[in-house]
Amino acid sequence: MTNLKETYSHKRANEILEVVMNYARLEFQNKIEISEKDDVFDAISAGVNMLGEELESSTISLKEKEHLLKEIHHRVKNNLQIISSLLNLQSENAGDEKFLAMIRESKNRIMSMALIHEMLYVTKDLSQINVHNYITKLCNSVYQSFYTKDCSIMFEYDIDESLFFEIDNMIPVGLIVNEIISNSLKYAFPDKKGVISVSFSKNNDKYILTAHDNGVGIPENFDHKTSKSLGMQLIHMLSEQLDGELLVDSKKGAKYKLCF
Amino acid sequence: MVMTTIPENAIEVTCFHTWKGEDGIVRTKIKPGSEVTVEYARENSAAVNSLFTGKKFPLLIDSRGIKSMTRDARNQFTTKGRETNTLAFAIIIDSPLSRVIGNFFMGINKPAVPTRLFDNEVEAVKWLKPYVK
Repeated sequence: MTNLKETYSHKRANEILEVVMNYARLEFQNKIEISEKDDVFDAISAGVNMLGEELESSTISLKEKEHLLKEIHHRVKNNLQIISSLLNLQSENAGDEKFLAMIRESKNRIMSMALIHEMLYVTKDLSQINVHNYITKLCNSVYQSFYTKDCSIMFEYDIDESLFFEIDNMIPVGLIVNEIISNSLKYAFPDKKGVISVSFSKNNDKYILTAHDNGVGIPENFDHKTSKSLGMQLIHMLSEQLDGELLVDSKKGAKYKLCF
Repeated sequence: MVMTTIPENAIEVTCFHTWKGEDGIVRTKIKPGSEVTVEYARENSAAVNSLFTGKKFPLLIDSRGIKSMTRDARNQFTTKGRETNTLAFAIIIDSPLSRVIGNFFMGINKPAVPTRLFDNEVEAVKWLKPYVK
């Protein structure tokens, strides 16, 4: 009798285990048979079956949401690209260098945001961006927009590859990097030769972004805190948004250090 | 265990008997061994709603003897997102299986109206009475 009971318990427990393992693999085809006995095994089986149904439904709904989120990032990126193209069209027949530079700067700012949305929909993780991948791609893209045949500027990176940011922090960081790199490419190298170094790390609870070039440096009479240039204003505004502290140094080229 | 007596005028659908008591409480009793799918749940909802005569009522659900209930059926009973003529649910449970199913209605498939589980009809009726209009 005891043996029979043990065999029954063993059989029922194994049936339940089999289905639980299926659920763990997100396979929901199999359900546990409920017997007429209405015993504790039937109760556990009914509970497992119902939890499986709920898990299946949540998994489907999560997949649908992920798909939707990808679609949104894709559309945002496409819309930003359209705005960028519109600016291109607007500048096509313009001969004014100042106006063209303004358009290029605006395009780069748009691109630095579009790049984030692009990275979010092509990667598996829809919420976080690898800081190293983003900053290197961004710098490359900004450089391309300034590139001319006689241009020979090198980039050096020291960026912690394990750092990931959510979009809320990545956008201001991206825009700040874009402004700093653009300033270096515009003003630091009259002979169009030089090196721009970008580093990003985490020290205790603080993130540290540094970007410096080995160019001509910032003019002595230039006060970055009171500057009316949109680029500098953006750097300050976005640093504040990140609750960061910005240090600007002009020894041996321009050097920006942001701790946040 | 005191079994609910099913009156002759009860509405019978595939998995349930449903009727309105003289105390104003609507009762729905599951047939033993029922495997409730959404179709059978809808049949029962229609039966319950047919007892509406202008006043909303509390509902006593005797789930003793149930074998299983699908997710769609459970969602049908929550009445979420639908007009309902019910004011509260008292669910009678006794076996381990009916206890498990009943507890789904306390969390994952929580109905839109106040709901409680009871192991006897007397306590369930006592709790539902204040909801009778």
